[in-house]
Amino acid sequence: MSELWEVLTEHLPEFSSGLWVTVRLVAIAFVIAMVVGTLVAAMRIAPNRWLNRAGGIYVETFRNVPLLVLLIIAFSGFPRAGVSVSQWVAGMACLGLYTAAYIAEALRSGVFAVGKGQVEAALSLGLTYPRTMRRIILPQAFRTVIPALGSLIIAMIKNSAIVGGSLVALPDLLKKTREVQADTAQPDEVYFWGAVGFLLMTVTVTLVFRYLESRFSIRR
Amino acid sequence: MERKRWHLLALATVVLAALLFAACGDDDDEEPAADEPAVEVEQYPADTTPGKIQEAGEITIGVKYDVPPFGLNNPQTGEVEGFDVDLGKYIADRLGVDAEFREATSDNRIPLLVDGTIDLILSTMTITEERDLEIDFSEPYYVANGDVLVPGDSDIATLDDLNGQRVCTALGSTYADTIKKEAPDADLRLVDLYSECFDQVQTGSVDAVSTDNVILTGMVIQDDTLELLGLDYTTEPYGIGLPDGDTEMKGFVDEAVAEFIDSGAWQETYDEWVGQHLSEEQQQGPPDVTLEEALKLFPLEK
Repeated sequence: MSELWEVLTEHLPEFSSGLWVTVRLVAIAFVIAMVVGTLVAAMRIAPNRWLNRAGGIYVETFRNVPLLVLLIIAFSGFPRAGVSVSQWVAGMACLGLYTAAYIAEALRSGVFAVGKGQVEAALSLGLTYPRTMRRIILPQAFRTVIPALGSLIIAMIKNSAIVGGSLVALPDLLKKTREVQADTAQPDEVYFWGAVGFLLMTVTVTLVFRYLESRFSIRR
Repeated sequence: MERKRWHLLALATVVLAALLFAACGDDDDEEPAADEPAVEVEQYPADTTPGKIQEAGEITIGVKYDVPPFGLNNPQTGEVEGFDVDLGKYIADRLGVDAEFREATSDNRIPLLVDGTIDLILSTMTITEERDLEIDFSEPYYVANGDVLVPGDSDIATLDDLNGQRVCTALGSTYADTIKKEAPDADLRLVDLYSECFDQVQTGSVDAVSTDNVILTGMVIQDDTLELLGLDYTTEPYGIGLPDGDTEMKGFVDEAVAEFIDSGAWQETYDEWVGQHLSEEQQQGPPDVTLEEALKLFPLEK
């Protein structure tokens, strides 16, 4: 038991720097994912065939390519084509754009959950289409998809470990944990604290979303 | 319309299944070729590790798959090849068993040995006291030196120049620590595979790669726009990784290594994989350090 604490106290700088890298990576990727995801969802439900298709192509591309392959394309493929990409840009962009495809689909399903009658009613009351979306449909859609968004963010936190494990080699929590393990050769203790680090993040997100749900979701 | 889709789905399933079967079928052809002349095989008692391996008829050896000229899974032949692989086959022959090779990276080789997935590690592994706590080492079978690889047009010329530069090496290798000491301000990129370092120095995602000169030489053979600095700033005797405290296995492997060196097989293997790519003055002979001396080169910290 004392060994368990010793590993943490002796290697706290490594663990906390890894945790901080993962937190920043996930936070920025989350912003990218939400912005791009909302835009793509809007494209997919817009009353325009070409926008629908463009949105569809985005979702199918990013959802059907493994995250690891996206990272290899960004960090090895682009430089070979003469475009240099930094570790952080590759990690944030891939994780964000990948998650955006799922968020777009979640939002789209939320929009479909709002009855068509509401759109017709809003339009016939004289609201423009964008206004109908912004004031009537999206607020309801967002609350419907809060639980789904929570799951997607937790998935993103876990997916972030792929960024550190891939050739991008960002010194994230998992990478730092493995470094400490290579130093100490105490896998049980070291990976325990690595897991605790990931749990800290996922449990925080779970609690935040539980609050959001109770605050905004539709009572049934 | 609905029906047509079902047909497509069924077709896709059939194609996938066919591919899977084809892939499985390939494996069956990969019987290790027993073209080596038979050496005199000593029978070991059944309760010792060498004896158990003889009974199983197969020894599983962890080698690198991406580090020419020591261990490379050659994409053209589908076979693993290199100095470590040949030494592994030599050891298998002395037991009269087949050698089965598995990929063992710098980070996962010790866990693979400890959990019994592999019987030996022959994976360009430097002998260190820290590793010696978990496993045992054979006598050194090769001595590599630490060096730095840079693109031909790089300004990096000394270890000191690595500060502020992006430097790639493998997670779990001795260099992860060495570089932190020698160039504390280097932006260290720790990857799983040396092939990832190779890829990144080629594309300019890192400025330098640092590890054993033989591994780096393998990269120069593949891409001659890269350049070795020739710093030789560390001495890294390689040892074969053995299960901790297994004296019979260690006795057998040490004997095999000694004979590998004395019989001239070492020189032959060296010339084939390493020597032919080096100039006259870069050539080296078999290791002249003992295990005891090697351990002192990488002592435990604290």
